[in-house]
Amino acid sequence: MIIEMKNIEKSFGGLEVLKDISFGVDSGEVVSIIGPSGSGKSTLLRCATFLETIDGGEIVYMGETAAHTDESGHAVYVSPQELRHFRKYCGLVFQQFNLFPHYSILKNLTDAPMRVQGLSRDEAEATAMDLLGKMGIADKAKAYPYQLSGGQQQRVAIARALAMKPEILFFDEPTSALDPELTGEVLKVIRQLAEEKMTMVVVTHEMPFAKAVSNRVIFMDGGVIVEQGDPKDVFDNPQEERTKQFLRVFER
Amino acid sequence: MSFSTMLSTMSAGMLRTFLIFALTLIGSLPLGMIVALLRKSRFAPVRGIIKAYISVMRGTPLMLQLLCWYFGPFYLFGWNIGSWRFPAIIVGFVLNYAAYFAEIYRGGIESIPTGQYEAAEVLGYTKFQTFMRIILPQVIKIIMPSVTNEVITLVKDTSLAFTLAYQEVFSLAKQISASQTSFMPFLIAGVFYFVANYVVEIVMSRVEKSMDYYK
Ligand SMILES: Nc1ncnc2c1ncn2[C@@H]1O[C@H](COP(=O)(O)OP(=O)(O)O)[C@@H](O)[C@H]1O
Ligand SMILES: [Mg+2]
Repeated sequence: MIIEMKNIEKSFGGLEVLKDISFGVDSGEVVSIIGPSGSGKSTLLRCATFLETIDGGEIVYMGETAAHTDESGHAVYVSPQELRHFRKYCGLVFQQFNLFPHYSILKNLTDAPMRVQGLSRDEAEATAMDLLGKMGIADKAKAYPYQLSGGQQQRVAIARALAMKPEILFFDEPTSALDPELTGEVLKVIRQLAEEKMTMVVVTHEMPFAKAVSNRVIFMDGGVIVEQGDPKDVFDNPQEERTKQFLRVFER
Repeated sequence: MSFSTMLSTMSAGMLRTFLIFALTLIGSLPLGMIVALLRKSRFAPVRGIIKAYISVMRGTPLMLQLLCWYFGPFYLFGWNIGSWRFPAIIVGFVLNYAAYFAEIYRGGIESIPTGQYEAAEVLGYTKFQTFMRIILPQVIKIIMPSVTNEVITLVKDTSLAFTLAYQEVFSLAKQISASQTSFMPFLIAGVFYFVANYVVEIVMSRVEKSMDYYK
């Protein structure tokens, strides 16, 4: 298991957003998370990547516990220094790309490996150019984010996350901010990563993509996992009424 | 008094004016950043004190503040303020301008989308690295036009040092004009301020251009 999240609880104020959610991802697995807006998908990813703190439950990366619930029922995290070690395991691709606008594309990819991981410039640039090549945008290395299309920016964001060599990469609706004609190029690189056995969790509304690429689909609603399983089973033969209802909307 | 004598007498004042200007910027630009960060402190009393400081600095005339800094120590503690004139001017200017710069910085910092912080956090940058490498460079670009305005105002505000009878260019212009019954000193002072601000505008637009490589 790359990551295991057990009995995750998370509230904002009085609002329970994650209610006893448990799931794990194996090495090389691609998991899609689908579900209506407000069901807690982003919150789950943000908890997994330590942008949010859980209220209860357990987060385990590579067999090492990052957070667990103590006797009093409160979630306790490892020290901030140790948490930095856990951050190395995971990457996150945002809906809004969140590239650094004042850095060139190349620097977006090399700055964190150099400043956070201590790589030399040569190493970092070699990795970065390699990744940009894979993303089909090697010619944009010297450009700045504003000069790129949304699809290109998102591919840079994926490359930036990969430059940190994470064990697992999370995607939060990576194509939702894109014009329809640009989603294909982003989905293509995610598909390519899946073929290379990159471990990934993708929150998406692109049902055909989820069905074709993922090993497992999770349907979330109201802060719980309603149904999960093989994509063919979940999409073609959903067991739960809520899943059926949700999928019906996408059939049209 | 000939024109050249006038000019050379006043040039000493120009130097003093420049000294106020330069020391104020050197002090208030960094201090403003500290104030802006304290303004967002986790500790409510710190935030309260900083807010009060900013509103007093912005809500009262700088001229009055200068008088308080200069005469305050005498009236409050009976101190001899003989050699306190210039330091009082600098303290008054720096604290006043730091408050204005702090508000400009705060506006700039708040305009950076949270996604920038989150992207940096996930990549493993420390809080300090995030601020210095990701946030601050973007803030500086955003606030440049407001900073330019403030710097131009400062060039003109230096004349307020005349309230403490400090012999900067404005005080000297008044004195010489009165003693020589001549309008020329005011003209010289006017040209001086204008040229100074012209230089400020050129320098600042260069700085802004140098940050034009991204949007
Ligand atoms: N920082 C926050 N503060 C308060 N409420 C939040 C916050 N983040 C998310 N929520 C709420 O949590 C719920 C789940 O949100 P989210 O995880 O973004 O859902 P999804 O990604 O599935 O659309 C929503 O009702 C949302 O309003
Ligand atoms: Mg979401």
